[in-house]
Amino acid sequence: MDIPYTVHARPDTGLYNAKIGIWLFLASEVMLFGGLFSAYIFLRVGADYPWPVHDLDVTLGFINTVVLIASSVTVVMAWAMLKLRKFGWYRINMAITVICAGLFMYNKSLEYRAKFAHYAVKLTDGTMLTGHLPHGYQVKFEGATEFNLSVPLKTSAVSADPIGHVLPFIEGTAPKFKTEDGQEITLDEASFKALSAEAVKKAVAAKKGTASIKLIATTPIKFAVKPSEIFAYTDTTITFRDGTTVTGKLTDDKMTLEVDGVDARGVAQSDKSLAFDHRYLGEAWQKAFVENRDHHITKFEKDYPTRDKTRSATLQKESLFFKLNSAEPPAAGAAHGDAHGAEAHAPAGGHGEAHAHHPTVVLEKKDFTFFSNFTPKLNTYYAIYFTLTGLHGLHVIAGALVLLYFLAFDGKRLRQDPEHLANRVEVGGLFWHFVDLVWIFLFPLLYLL
Amino acid sequence: MSAAATTHDHAHDHSHDDHAHGHHEQSFIWKYVFSTDHKTIGLQYGLTGLIFLLFGFFLMLLMRWSIAYPGIPVPAVEVIRHLPLIGDLFEQMFGRWLNADGSLNGELYNMLGAMHGTVMVFFGIVPLGFAAFGNFVMPLQIGTIDMAFPRLNMMSYWFFFISCVLMMYSFFVGTGPVQTGWTMYSPLASTTNIGVTSIWSHGHMWWLMAMVFNISASLLGSVNFIATIINLRTKGMAWMKMPFFCWAMFVTAFLLLLAFPPLEVAAILQLSDRVFGSSFYLPTGLMEGGKHLDISGGGSPLLYQHLFWFLAHPEVYVLILPAFAILTDIIPCNARRPLWGYKSMVYSVLTLGFLSFLVWAHHMYLTGMGTMMSTYFQITTVLISVPSVVLLTCLMVSLWGGSIRFNTQMLFASAFLPMFGIGGLTGLPLAFSFIDLAMHDTYYVIGHFHYVVAPGTIFALFAGVYHWFPKFTGRFMNDKLGKLHFWPSLIGMNLVFAPMFVQGMAGFHRRWYDGGKYFENTSGMSHWTTSLTHNVGAFFGLDIPDNMLSLNIVMSVGAFILALGQVPFIINFWFSIKGGKKATSDNPWDATTMEWATPTPPPHGNFLFDPVAHRGPYEYSVPGHTTDFYPQWESEPGKPDLKAIAEKAQAHH
Amino acid sequence: MADNIEAIQKSIKWYLIIGGILILASGATVWLSYVELPTHSLNILVGMILATIKATLVALIFMHLNHERSMIYKILLFTVVLAVVLFALFIFSHEDPLVFSGFYAPVEQQ
Repeated sequence: MDIPYTVHARPDTGLYNAKIGIWLFLASEVMLFGGLFSAYIFLRVGADYPWPVHDLDVTLGFINTVVLIASSVTVVMAWAMLKLRKFGWYRINMAITVICAGLFMYNKSLEYRAKFAHYAVKLTDGTMLTGHLPHGYQVKFEGATEFNLSVPLKTSAVSADPIGHVLPFIEGTAPKFKTEDGQEITLDEASFKALSAEAVKKAVAAKKGTASIKLIATTPIKFAVKPSEIFAYTDTTITFRDGTTVTGKLTDDKMTLEVDGVDARGVAQSDKSLAFDHRYLGEAWQKAFVENRDHHITKFEKDYPTRDKTRSATLQKESLFFKLNSAEPPAAGAAHGDAHGAEAHAPAGGHGEAHAHHPTVVLEKKDFTFFSNFTPKLNTYYAIYFTLTGLHGLHVIAGALVLLYFLAFDGKRLRQDPEHLANRVEVGGLFWHFVDLVWIFLFPLLYLL
Repeated sequence: MSAAATTHDHAHDHSHDDHAHGHHEQSFIWKYVFSTDHKTIGLQYGLTGLIFLLFGFFLMLLMRWSIAYPGIPVPAVEVIRHLPLIGDLFEQMFGRWLNADGSLNGELYNMLGAMHGTVMVFFGIVPLGFAAFGNFVMPLQIGTIDMAFPRLNMMSYWFFFISCVLMMYSFFVGTGPVQTGWTMYSPLASTTNIGVTSIWSHGHMWWLMAMVFNISASLLGSVNFIATIINLRTKGMAWMKMPFFCWAMFVTAFLLLLAFPPLEVAAILQLSDRVFGSSFYLPTGLMEGGKHLDISGGGSPLLYQHLFWFLAHPEVYVLILPAFAILTDIIPCNARRPLWGYKSMVYSVLTLGFLSFLVWAHHMYLTGMGTMMSTYFQITTVLISVPSVVLLTCLMVSLWGGSIRFNTQMLFASAFLPMFGIGGLTGLPLAFSFIDLAMHDTYYVIGHFHYVVAPGTIFALFAGVYHWFPKFTGRFMNDKLGKLHFWPSLIGMNLVFAPMFVQGMAGFHRRWYDGGKYFENTSGMSHWTTSLTHNVGAFFGLDIPDNMLSLNIVMSVGAFILALGQVPFIINFWFSIKGGKKATSDNPWDATTMEWATPTPPPHGNFLFDPVAHRGPYEYSVPGHTTDFYPQWESEPGKPDLKAIAEKAQAHH
Repeated sequence: MADNIEAIQKSIKWYLIIGGILILASGATVWLSYVELPTHSLNILVGMILATIKATLVALIFMHLNHERSMIYKILLFTVVLAVVLFALFIFSHEDPLVFSGFYAPVEQQ
């Protein structure tokens, strides 16, 4: 009483069960990636910034394309060899497929790592600076003494939690605190619980909506936090994510950036970009920028005399996205070497020696509005890039695991029922071809166009 | 009329032969918990679905209390809080959000609303209608021994189970469950409680993860359904001899298969927005609390709505098609008439399935997506009403000239017809963007889709439970208790949902936790329904004001009647398993489809003979035939295929 | 091409040839993407046409869709129609199709 048609096809439909199953699954996968690709279209059509083109490492992408196509050939060869009962060739082809999958994922990891170490900063006038943060970016406070915590009476998503949200950012060890009634305590889970219980009791008695606790540190405290770890800050206060406010003095919120690119596409007058302010890159770089820009515009006019300059995204990018490849501004006439410069050409390691080749600027907080490394946060292009390639990567891993299973653990079936194994390999192969098929669209959409 | 009288031993012999599902015999765990048998899985889905229906209903009762009596403590809340165990659970799930005096507030109301929708749609009706009935009945009706991929089938249930656990867990985390409606519209859903740094204490995170598992479960289930129907139909079961039930399940499975992936995309992108800080759904310059959010912007909330409704409109048909499926078995069987217009129904359901993918943006007329888009979606929306009407008409005409047996399932089935009719017809005005401008997000919409789903689909599901209960257990459910279940349910449903149309046209918004109390002075108009309420109230000595708010009280009373009406069902269900009247034969309703050819309850492997479909599925009252039904599996009048049974038995010993 | 032994033997050669064509076509896509066509939309169009041709080859030869059963075609046809609907409506919903102006409009510079 076995399920019928697991190995041999049903005569009237001509299909065995697993084949219907995998094609249905692929149909649903088509809709999954269809949804993602339509999200891509939607985001691209609606983008309010220049959509990055050729911004990723095309060489690495092309190598991956070749690798995936090769694995697609070998997996179908493996199936054919199994059908012909040439088991040795089947194993070789299958092994190559799995190795190709590993290679693909390795390349992917190189690509991702370069992105994580690379930053972009948006200045107030719309200029984007790209580069590296040699020391990371932290906001520093000192002389902090007064803590104000608020505890809502009713359970709430946001409630004071100094142990989790404030104390970790103190430089050095946490000092003792004085409560309002003069008691000296060490702040920990137990003492805070007691404190808040008392405060809640008081607030209920006074018919107030929230209970508040005030603590004074016995010695002034220094804080160093990433802006994403707190809610807000001013010159004299920090508000932590749990709503606790601390008074103190802001000592440092400047950002040290090793600049490797100035993208002035979002600026009305590109040569007047804030990046060329005397505090930052200065006049010499400005000159190099203008020279590079005019060179590309002249070249475009010569090559395509009839075309509209403002409609060419490539020209916009080449003339206004300026790459800085040396620590000092180049001599006149040498500023435009990198025609297809891509930010991904930065070394994968992140903190290699190459950084010596970039000028360093110290940005004041009031001059930039947003910064991020090249992760989904940076813009919708990188968001969809990571989502699409990440999901595709998961499919590669899953497919490779299935194929590896057939290769390594299905030996018994290979000897006893090769026809059944051939069906399984065909089904696994169909999935693998689909993964390849998705990449065929991903590669041009994300890397090239 | 049974194919063969079965004994317990016989069933056992069968399972022993089974090599495909190795452990099946060994223990309780493998037989009832990690079972690969489609019937057990169907029952698992069914019980889980029923429990979630009850839970979703309970959420709704709390909401209705707040709407009718805003600011007044929930009755018996103190008592519940002091119960052992239940008190603690209640406190953790709801109690901690209540106001100090025990009344509801907007925050809790939003949680209840969001979870009511989610639980009812994804955890109640779809598992019950599609997964439970589909799993149990469909393989029997096409005469096969199990689904095409039994292990995937088991995985499907357990993925679903994990998603249930995750969804329930979201009640216990720091922020409580989601508060942004079952639709999870971004940017609200992407930014609420954004101050909470730990992603694990977000109810929203758990909602998204639960949905990922739920979607995977649906996917596995639907692949299984379609593959089974295509490849495992028994001999003679041609496409056009298949019961309509299987057709409807086939189309439903396709809807799930192809509509759910875009929702998965929507969930993944929203997850990315929350966890990685991306801006898929967040437009440039978005502010919250007077402060620019630390995001790049550049995304679009419209993107979410497109992806979401691409699923959610087909989802509506996922909710309703299993109801039609069940009725096409119950109505011909109890009217003793063939299904009228079988072919037109099949073509209609196929058309319906296809069109359902092309109408999604009629939920989005107010988003400003462009006049051309609106025009297109108005046309397709009106078009899709045609196949729906064909389905309903065929069911209604099937009653014509029948000698109808009004047992409980037939009562539910016949109540379905007008109730679904009301739901469908009130939907027509909403198809037009200019009417939708006024009606959008009002109680009119709530009334419309609840008429479709609650007295519509849920009545059909109840009918299905009463109809197939003898096949599940070998015993009937009590008919008197069934009628005690039916009448209060019918009255309660209508008391709850009919006043919504009146309120909706008066402009009452669906998300008011105080039911419009805040606007009492401006929307205090009266209407004949409110006067009636006032007068009826006065008759009982109650002072109900003569304005729209009085309808809130009517609805809450209705909900209470509905709640009481479910008590007989629960009693009936559990007591009938062991104490119900024994089914007299394997085919107690004298039905014609193949599931009634199996022993009761069907053993592992289902059939004792190789079933062959000799004729169409609805051969009732065939002229010249000795009985008023002519089952699909009978080779000649009145006789089961005895030769086949003998051969089969021989093969086993 | 059916799934019998001789046919499979014959098709092995084709698998290698198609693999080669795919790699060449990928190279061509890379090259074409650097060519400055009159508008960038044209670059996208050309790239997508090439990608579609490649995808079709994979589907027809590697995935054996050149000799599959009718049921599979029916399922896929339905899916592809829906996917196309999804794409089309997503594009159209962004701007009114009556005034649709193209896929890409770079930021205007003064």
